[in-house]
Amino acid sequence: MTANKFLYYGKYLLITAGITMIGGVAFIFSGLYPMGADVPHNSLTYWGLETLRERSIARVASDIEVPKDLDTSYRLLRGGADYNDMCADCHLTPSKKKSDFTLGLYPSPPNLSRNENENGHDHHGDKLYTQQRQFWIIKHGIKASGMPAWAPGHDDERIWDMVAFLKRLPELSPEEYQILTTRSDSTKGHEH
Amino acid sequence: MKTKTLTFITAFSTLAFTLLAHAHDPKKPMQDTERLDCTLMEKMDHSKMDMETPVRQAMIQQCMNTMNNDKKPESESEGGSNGDELAGHKH
Repeated sequence: MTANKFLYYGKYLLITAGITMIGGVAFIFSGLYPMGADVPHNSLTYWGLETLRERSIARVASDIEVPKDLDTSYRLLRGGADYNDMCADCHLTPSKKKSDFTLGLYPSPPNLSRNENENGHDHHGDKLYTQQRQFWIIKHGIKASGMPAWAPGHDDERIWDMVAFLKRLPELSPEEYQILTTRSDSTKGHEH
Repeated sequence: MKTKTLTFITAFSTLAFTLLAHAHDPKKPMQDTERLDCTLMEKMDHSKMDMETPVRQAMIQQCMNTMNNDKKPESESEGGSNGDELAGHKH
């Protein structure tokens, strides 16, 4: 009797799963879902994608070993020059509050010159994890987000330089930013 | 013979024109970028600053490097000793 019940309900579960799969594939091929960057995701989709991203990054970034010398001046200077060349258009500066990229990209790139949680994600004050996460994101990028992987052409040390600069960026004034990020003879050879 | 001469002149002229299009000062792209302005440091209120912070130390180093390179002859400042510390970032 129990086996008959199992078969009875199992059959309907399989049918339901099959219909759901067919419906999902049909929805994908229908083209109904808006893909324009100027049409935000609905709340559920946004939550799902954000959670997927953050959980994935947390899994792979939590074991990254952070160098002990992130507070040295040479890392700040090298990282600052690279940030200004490669990152400032999207992630802004103390004197630049918006750009075509921040207005047009979805999700909008976080303003790394501000001392606030990125996209509302609280790292619970865990500065070590923040640095691990930033390193991983700079190195590997994020799929379908506009954030490129900088690993091709940039070794780990250069990426750590940028993490070191990101650590200080929110506290910089526009004048301090100008001095720290201008390429001088000491950082030449890294131009893009 | 005339055709060969004309072809040679045309090819040579085209090649010369192409080479001229790239004959610019390699430093020109750097000159077009923003220049370091260490006078901004002079305008800051140093009495309120902690000069031992990494940011201050980096700013001092940045401006000292620039001042030292400005004093050197141009032939020495390219890849000079101040650049050695941060040189070696090869792609």
